Amino acid sequence: MTAAARAKPGPTRTNFAPVTREITGIPLDFPQRRNWWVFFLCACALLALYLISAAVLFWNGVGMWGLNIPVNWAMAITNYIWWLGIGHAGTLISALLLLLGQHWRNSLNRFAEAMTLFAVVCAGLYPILHLGRPERFFWVAPYPSTLGVWPQFRSPLAWDFFAVLTYLTVSVLFWYIGLIPDLAATRDRARSRAAQLFYGVVALGWRGASRHWVRWNQAYRLTAAIAVPLVVSVHSEISLLLAAGPVPGWNSTVFPPYFVFGAAFSGFAVVAMITTVLRRAFALENLVTSRHLDLLGQLTLATGLMTAYGYVAEVFTALYGGEPNELKVLHDRLVGAYAWSYWGAVIFNFVPLQLLWLKRVRVNPLLLFLIGLSAATGMWMERFMLLTVSLHREGLVSSYFNYVPSVWEWTLFVGSIGLFLTPFLLFVRFVPMISAFEINEARDEGKTVDEA
Amino acid sequence: MEAEFAGPFEGMADQDRRDLLKVMGAALAMGGLSACEGKPDSRAIPYVTAPDNLVPGKPRYYATAVTFGGYAQPVVGTTWDGRPVKLDGLPGHPLAGGGSDAFTQARVLELYDPERSKAVRRLGKPTSWAAFETAMAREAQALDARQGEGFRLLTGPSASPTFARELKALMDRWPKARWHVFEAAGEEGALEGARLAFGRPLSARLKLDQAQAIVCLDADILGPGPHQAARARAWSGARRAFQQQPGAACRLMAVEPAPSQTGAMAADRLIAAYDRIGPLAQALAAACGFGEAQTTLSPREAQWIAAAAKALKAAAPGTALVVAGFQQPPEVQALALQLCARLAALGGTLALTEPVLLQPPDKDGSFAALTRDLLAGRVDVLAILDCNPAYAAPADLPFAAALAECRTVVHAGLHADETAAFAHWHAPLSHALESWDDARAADGRPSLIQPLVRPLYDTRTIPVLLQTLQGRPGASDRDLVMQTWREEWGDDFDRRWAAALPKGFVDEPAMDAQAEPGPAPAVSEPAASGPLDILFRPDPAVWDGAFAANAWLQELPKPFTTLTWDNVVAVSPALARERGLNNGDVLRLSSGGRSIEGPAWIMAGQERRTVVVYLGYGRRLPGTLADGAGYNAYPLRLSTSPWRVRGDLRKTGRKVELAVVQPQTDEGREDFVRTADPGQARTAKRAKTVSPSFYPDKPQPPPQWGMSIDLDLCIGCNACVVACQSENNVPSVGRAQVRQGRHMHWLRVDQYRKGGEDEPALAFQPVPCMHCEEAPCELGCPVNATTHSSEGLNQQVYNRCIGTRTCSTYCPYKVRRFNWFDYTGKDPPSVQAARNPDVTVRSRGVMEKCTYCVQRIDEARINAELDGRPIRDGEVVPACAQACPTQAIVFGDVSQAGSAVSRRKTQARDYALLEDFDTRPRTTYLARLKDGGVA
Repeated sequence: MTAAARAKPGPTRTNFAPVTREITGIPLDFPQRRNWWVFFLCACALLALYLISAAVLFWNGVGMWGLNIPVNWAMAITNYIWWLGIGHAGTLISALLLLLGQHWRNSLNRFAEAMTLFAVVCAGLYPILHLGRPERFFWVAPYPSTLGVWPQFRSPLAWDFFAVLTYLTVSVLFWYIGLIPDLAATRDRARSRAAQLFYGVVALGWRGASRHWVRWNQAYRLTAAIAVPLVVSVHSEISLLLAAGPVPGWNSTVFPPYFVFGAAFSGFAVVAMITTVLRRAFALENLVTSRHLDLLGQLTLATGLMTAYGYVAEVFTALYGGEPNELKVLHDRLVGAYAWSYWGAVIFNFVPLQLLWLKRVRVNPLLLFLIGLSAATGMWMERFMLLTVSLHREGLVSSYFNYVPSVWEWTLFVGSIGLFLTPFLLFVRFVPMISAFEINEARDEGKTVDEA
Repeated sequence: MEAEFAGPFEGMADQDRRDLLKVMGAALAMGGLSACEGKPDSRAIPYVTAPDNLVPGKPRYYATAVTFGGYAQPVVGTTWDGRPVKLDGLPGHPLAGGGSDAFTQARVLELYDPERSKAVRRLGKPTSWAAFETAMAREAQALDARQGEGFRLLTGPSASPTFARELKALMDRWPKARWHVFEAAGEEGALEGARLAFGRPLSARLKLDQAQAIVCLDADILGPGPHQAARARAWSGARRAFQQQPGAACRLMAVEPAPSQTGAMAADRLIAAYDRIGPLAQALAAACGFGEAQTTLSPREAQWIAAAAKALKAAAPGTALVVAGFQQPPEVQALALQLCARLAALGGTLALTEPVLLQPPDKDGSFAALTRDLLAGRVDVLAILDCNPAYAAPADLPFAAALAECRTVVHAGLHADETAAFAHWHAPLSHALESWDDARAADGRPSLIQPLVRPLYDTRTIPVLLQTLQGRPGASDRDLVMQTWREEWGDDFDRRWAAALPKGFVDEPAMDAQAEPGPAPAVSEPAASGPLDILFRPDPAVWDGAFAANAWLQELPKPFTTLTWDNVVAVSPALARERGLNNGDVLRLSSGGRSIEGPAWIMAGQERRTVVVYLGYGRRLPGTLADGAGYNAYPLRLSTSPWRVRGDLRKTGRKVELAVVQPQTDEGREDFVRTADPGQARTAKRAKTVSPSFYPDKPQPPPQWGMSIDLDLCIGCNACVVACQSENNVPSVGRAQVRQGRHMHWLRVDQYRKGGEDEPALAFQPVPCMHCEEAPCELGCPVNATTHSSEGLNQQVYNRCIGTRTCSTYCPYKVRRFNWFDYTGKDPPSVQAARNPDVTVRSRGVMEKCTYCVQRIDEARINAELDGRPIRDGEVVPACAQACPTQAIVFGDVSQAGSAVSRRKTQARDYALLEDFDTRPRTTYLARLKDGGVA
């Protein structure tokens, strides 16, 4: 730990410089150039795979995937929900905890928000890629078309479009507004002309004047207030994609909360993964302390248990309701052709999760990373299970048909990790990845970094 | 500048208007010529003088016929601007009325088949008609000198009066020539049975419309074949009477070794081995008081025999019928015919006529005799017209090898097939839709075949070729047919010809033949000579191989298996358990030293030791649609025993993935195909069940379209499926896509079995779009691409669809089909010509589905509005309902209480599929009726 981190508040003015220097120093004088390039090139390779998969898809048609008539939503929608779920934790951490005055969020919020942004981009592209005629995706938008036809507002897909777009917009604004003071600090510390120009432009002329801070506070808190309900609404809306259809296993009122919990769970799991990696890579143990890991572990555990409750409730409702179609879906989930996805989800989501009851595990970065990875895998399987199991044996026996993902669906999925990592690595490289001024503010108010 | 670019316009200014018109006239004529050669005409030239009555953009209808198994299938053809696009049963014809079958429906695609032979070939190399005609004239001269010695004609079965007349003329000219018939899937076995029973070969015509009790002894009377549409139509008449009138009966009993459509419709289906049918027939005769049973019956058999005998005896005189399949030994068939005679069926449910098909002089083994003569070098010139014996000959007749002994082999066919490869000359035949010809239907009524389009390629008809073979090239097919009927009608020709042509047929059925039954023939149970019975069946989709090039038929899901693009070796569930067989395991079947290999299929309801192989596959014609599909079963067949051999099978260890539309047929505990008690169904009315809703009902101003499908009448013949495909430009997608679950049929026939796989109850259920009043698909679409019309139609707007597929995800019936790839853009121009211009061709990435044939609704609406009247009941007939030979599908206005569809929907046995999804479907079903006996 550095002297700055151990610094106790004194009667005199807090010294902001050490924290600011440490954080803004990363983009200005990058410590891990070699490793960064290795990761970045890997990410670019994955991104190239994504672009190739998309090109193959657009050239030949959505028939390149393994979809068929009962199962005409599968991997793409699975990935869509999965990425969007991951994109939940950032805003939840930043906006909700900001409004609740939880200052410990300051060490996590910046990169968690970046994760949100890039995950939402990954998610948002999937519904478009998945279309039969992707070039006409904008018909879902309510624009004054010469055709005189509006979207069909009863459709969950139309609302989906608004939800994702709104969420993306608000997330970008929230992230960027929160970034401005630190960009200005970076500008002020930049030595090269190019860096000064770049950070100068993106800092939008921030001078740290009181008037600026007043306006900034208003804008930031207002955006946060808008963002918080969006966290709940977006994934509720996504769940209606499934729940609005008369499909056994989907047509359930528990879906909106179930999806929100699941989304938050997978989001926290991925935040935990990213936190442990960045903390280790940039030696940020002084800013991202054990307490942060502990809290992340607790949040993951809590949302994981809520998700588990959703599982129990679903099984109970099916058994208690005794509706034959629901029982059939339950049977198919437990022992059907895709039982691996159900049991995979249960095991990966909830078994390693139980280790988080122990504080020793929560503060161990490696274990936390692995548990996060397990939960992310489990949540992917859960979405795959929800879609495929219900669709492959729905309604009439005559339309039962199995689904096998094609190689192009896998490449697109693996490639989408590149789509996520490439901008994220650029973010790590060029943007202050932790909110320096907010930590300083908290320190100034007399809190330790642990609390700040 | 002008000098530089003058080129094509040089001297144009000098021409006066008259010259210009001449040039244009020449261009027009050449355009027409090039069209004959199948090249697309790049110049669109409007008519200067339009043909009479032709309104551009309006279809025209012509009565004509296509032939199948030699018999005429009378049809009415729809043409758009000179292009035939749809065939349907000829409404006025007494045989099948407007009903048709899958084969007839698909024949329009055959016309446009890009694989059709387009040119004369000599030793496989394209040459000209002139060369062929010169060569034939030389041959004819030589044959004249020796009275036709060494000339042989080999044709498929024919019932054409013109062919008969020409054949007679040919025989008169060349008395030493001979005519042989080759038919791979023919019913000549039935004539043998009749000869045994009545002393001479007679055609037995079933009059099922009068039948109150039918017992089928391995006879698939409702199954695929040339008689399907006619028999299904007649049977549905009897069945409908049973449905409606208390005291009426229409009881169908079947005993068979393998599931058939007849068996599926039977009130009681007994499973018995091929050899067991004879003793059971005898036991049945004994139970009816005719002869004595010589076998001990198992309890199940005894129960079935007792029930069958009771039904036969309970039927009114002349309404009982016993039919034995033509694949059965002649003694069994003779016994069945004699039993019919005893039950007073002759003149009632059974009419005997002289054979409608022309009979070759040497009755037994016409084809075997030819092969023998070929091997003996007695054949000098052999003309093979419209049959493919090099592919379909049985294993014991080395026909293809024997062809080497013949000096000149001439082959004529729609395709340059396996036989063409062995022939010195190949001549392309005209399709029935581009020919003048004639043929008798199964009831003996002659149909006139008139062209709906000018021949697409430079082809000839069989009567013209017969003239060419005799050294008289250039005959007109029309003149030849007219000559036949001029001889027949004499002075009255002009009037009768003019009357018959628009009607499509001559109303002169074959006269009933008088015959007395002889003594009952002895029926013996032959000793087994192999562990398994291998039965041969024509394929329900490609028949004997004649339709192998037809994509609609290749992709037609076959009854019971829903298999496409391949044939299988059907084994019983018991045998599969015993030998550890699974679907797709490649089996090696051997019999008498011959063997074939094909994939296994476990057929529920098949007799334990029975194996069924299907003909028509295993074509090896590189570059064609059929190449590599399935296996060839002919090498296991014997001319002496064409329908059954004994043999064994073993696994090869290889496995193939079959293209199956419906992987699961076990209905389990579900109740998709319901059954009802006939007594209750007749009297009770359907209780109106309207589920509660927060929302007010939508207004339903007339007309409100709806459909009713009677599962008690659906025989699973697939005519509706192909009719829908033809009417609505539904693409074929190929084996690989079907394997992935991407077939495009708007209307499918679901196959279900209930009960264990050994003795299941079998049922069919056609599933078009349900046109739900509360349609989940409409809720799901984000762009308003699927909407509800004021007339209750669930509409799909292709050009608005962006392909989210939400509609299909939300559809509980999964009737929606998606264009995963561009399935239509790469169709050859000739196939594009087969499309219905009234229906949009869908592009990649859009959803499509059954529209209730909205184009036909619109046509009816326009006609009604022109006349200033409402649309009449029955005026709108969707393609499926039009094709259905049993009229199981009824369509109409459900808001009118008196409409046919409304009357059906008030019946107690009316029900909606997946009622608990509360989608309020407009398509509903009538439950099957139990029993079929007198209630």
